[in-house]
Amino acid sequence: MSVLENLKENVIAGNESKVLEYTQKALDEGIDLEKILNDGFIPGMDVVGSKFQANEIYVPEMLISAKAMKAGMKILEPLLTEAGIEPIGKVVIGTVKGDLHDIGKNLVAMMLEGGGFEVIDAGVDITAQKFMDLVKENKPDILGLSALLTTTMVEIKNVIDAFKEEGLRDDVKIIVGGAPVSEDYAKDIGADGYSPDAASAVNLAKKLLGK
Amino acid sequence: MGRLLDLVKSSYSEKRRIVAPLVGFPGVKIAQSSIKLAQQNHEEHFKVVSSLVDKFKPDIQFVLMDLSVEANALGLNTLFPPDDSATVMKKHGKFGTDELALLEKIKFDSDSRLLSYVKTVELMKRRFPAGVKVGAYVTGPYTLAGLIIGAEEAGLMAARHPEKLEEICVFTNDCIMRYAELLLSAGADAVCVLEPSGVMLGPSHFEKFSVANVKDIVKLCHTADSDCIYHVCGNSTHLIEKMVESGVDGLSLDSKDGGIYLSEIAKNIQKNIVLIGNISPSRTIVYGSPKEVKEEVKALLESMDSFPNYVLSTGCDLPLETPVDNISAFMETGRNYTISV
Ligand code: B12
Repeated sequence: MSVLENLKENVIAGNESKVLEYTQKALDEGIDLEKILNDGFIPGMDVVGSKFQANEIYVPEMLISAKAMKAGMKILEPLLTEAGIEPIGKVVIGTVKGDLHDIGKNLVAMMLEGGGFEVIDAGVDITAQKFMDLVKENKPDILGLSALLTTTMVEIKNVIDAFKEEGLRDDVKIIVGGAPVSEDYAKDIGADGYSPDAASAVNLAKKLLGK
Repeated sequence: MGRLLDLVKSSYSEKRRIVAPLVGFPGVKIAQSSIKLAQQNHEEHFKVVSSLVDKFKPDIQFVLMDLSVEANALGLNTLFPPDDSATVMKKHGKFGTDELALLEKIKFDSDSRLLSYVKTVELMKRRFPAGVKVGAYVTGPYTLAGLIIGAEEAGLMAARHPEKLEEICVFTNDCIMRYAELLLSAGADAVCVLEPSGVMLGPSHFEKFSVANVKDIVKLCHTADSDCIYHVCGNSTHLIEKMVESGVDGLSLDSKDGGIYLSEIAKNIQKNIVLIGNISPSRTIVYGSPKEVKEEVKALLESMDSFPNYVLSTGCDLPLETPVDNISAFMETGRNYTISV
């Protein structure tokens, strides 16, 4: 197997130390940074995403893959910046006010990173005001909002309304998700997109940016 | 009072269904109390659950659902909002064997809040009208492990260091068993094991961290001639076979919105396992109208007509803001229904 195939397989297996080893090896062999991303990390996470959707793997396996990828990306990130290679887009993501659930949001964030996005993770229990501040400060292409409680799902709408009131709504695409959220609800409240899981969130984000 | 399956079968022979929604918090409004008070004081807690029994006359009444009882008794930081259930705060930092050794020293079963749940069960058993079964909850071993070390950390540990997580789950189950023993001595007719975090696991992990331990809780319940029920939230279709392997008497399953098609499951499950569910708590009972509640309950009951082993219930616990009229609509439809086979 080539270095990049090994890298991909170990991302799928969630083997962090091997991912670090093969990332370094790929760099030592002088493989192009973008090629490492596009032929190692991204196809690896694609497989992980489809296996998750097909119920072949579950949250623990997806978490270790995402963590392994994130560790490898840490090596690449400074080099990518140095080489002037831009991420395909910038995303701010967080869980809305009153809600402390973050596993799903973290998976979405990590999959987006694996998909080539720069991600700013706002954390949990985030107010509309804080989301607006983060958007003003970071100028992301996309804002991701997560809610896991039926009682906090309404907070997603409040955030979108606040963006409208402040005249910020057209500055950013807003995508939403979390167990109680649905496609219909997303449409009703004026979000730009919804996805049921982390793998399709990446496709959604790319589609919204026309990539 | 007799076991759940017998009760379910005998009412089926009379063409009636046992009706037992998972309802607790709405009683706080009826009794003009607060969740915080009720979760900390047994008299107040009893006042809340008995207001539900007076108003709705269910066949089984559970205590308030509270996933923080055991975790709180183990000393974990817990929030007590006045009108929301107590919640364990997010865990920061690493959890290792040193911490486990510390937790093992805690005199878990003399915690006053945990004992207030035991006393509530005692009062329910003593003062409820004959014919109302008393239900208690315990947190599942994997979910409790997740509350202690962090839910994400538990997921990671399941994949990376399963043997470590097994050790933690044996410890959590030991605590849960001690609590369950107290609840059973207080007179609980059924103990329901709440394992919401289990939904994140695949079948083999679920078996290792949850089922293997829950088997002991089931045995304990049976020794006391009580029933044991498994409850996992969300789409637990992939775990049903494993839950059954634990030997439990009943499965309490989430709603169709959560991905559970009860009549399909009923076709494939042994007839000695009671299925409990599964009207959508949020879409139907919180946000629907009484008319919608009636229609959904009727449709669900009809779809279950050919299965004796069934109890009409909600897919999950009803929140405080549930309209009381919708709970009444649920109860009435269930009570007035006649099985047509
Ligand atoms: C783990 C868990 C917890 C943990 C959270 C730990 C953590 N750090 O996140 C703890 C124990 C702290 C917890 C607390 C509570 N919880 Co909780 N919890 C869960 C549980 C078991 C799993 C959630 C989860 O992580 N799933 C796995 C991830 C991978 O899935 P996901 O979150 O759905 O995310 C995926 C998609 O939705 C999507 N997605 C998610 N976000 C986003 C965002 C965007 C932009 C996009 C595009 C996609 C997307 O992609 C993700 C990956 O594929 C669920 C049960 C369930 N079956 O869902 C209950 C559940 C969500 N909790 C519930 C409740 C009631 C509570 C509490 C109120 C209970 C309590 N009193 O203890 C508190 C509330 C605390 C608070 N204020 O937030 C209820 C909610 C009921 C409702 N419908 O309102 C549930 C459904 C369980 C239940 N039925 O009782 N909980």
